[in-house]
Amino acid sequence: MINLSPTSPSMPIAPKPLQPAGQEAKPAQVSGSGDFGKIIDKYIENVDGQQQSSQTSIQDLLSGKNADINSVVAEVAKADMSFKLLVGVRNKVIEAYRQTMQMQI
Amino acid sequence: MAVNSVGPLDIAVSGLKAQGRSMEVISSNVANSRTNNAGNGQPYRRLEAVLKSDSKPGEVGTVSLADVLPDKSDFYRILDPGSPNSDSQGYVSMPNVDLPIEMMNLQIASRAYQANAAVLKRYQQMVDTSLELLR
Repeated sequence: MINLSPTSPSMPIAPKPLQPAGQEAKPAQVSGSGDFGKIIDKYIENVDGQQQSSQTSIQDLLSGKNADINSVVAEVAKADMSFKLLVGVRNKVIEAYRQTMQMQI
Repeated sequence: MAVNSVGPLDIAVSGLKAQGRSMEVISSNVANSRTNNAGNGQPYRRLEAVLKSDSKPGEVGTVSLADVLPDKSDFYRILDPGSPNSDSQGYVSMPNVDLPIEMMNLQIASRAYQANAAVLKRYQQMVDTSLELLR
């Protein structure tokens, strides 16, 4: 039930806010350490791909191209779980960055 | 996190799909339980869904509908001399579908479907619990 809410009502808008959110987290990492940045970059691409495929599967279902609701549920659940993990990691990284910036030198 | 590989999520969804397909076969049997002519002059023959595991023995894996096979038991013969389909002795061949058995199979399939949905839901809750630890 949770997984349908972020994707289904905001179908046309959903991929766009995802991109800036990804870009926002990306440059901070790339400028820091290249290796970790690349890993994060790859993971964001992965999550984005899953979001896109859940998007297309919902569109296929609604347009009648695909009648199987179970595969849509699977795609959306996967996209939801990996997106939640990405958000959790991002929050943790930003928190660590803030703590570092507040350090007294 | 192994979101891409075949995990509990894919297995549960394959179970949902397989039970949905077997429900399809049951509904065909119920709908055709009085079909005298299945296109070949014969009464409708009861179908049965055969499920198979997609993995090697001893490994976890998804399930899928392997085949839909006909039931080999004999047709029922009902005495109805007035029927236009009756033979020289007044008997009519009827499909080998038993509605109580179909109802039992339907109950089994729908319970299995619910069980798979429960596994899917519980797995999502488990992942959410793990993600709570990040905060």
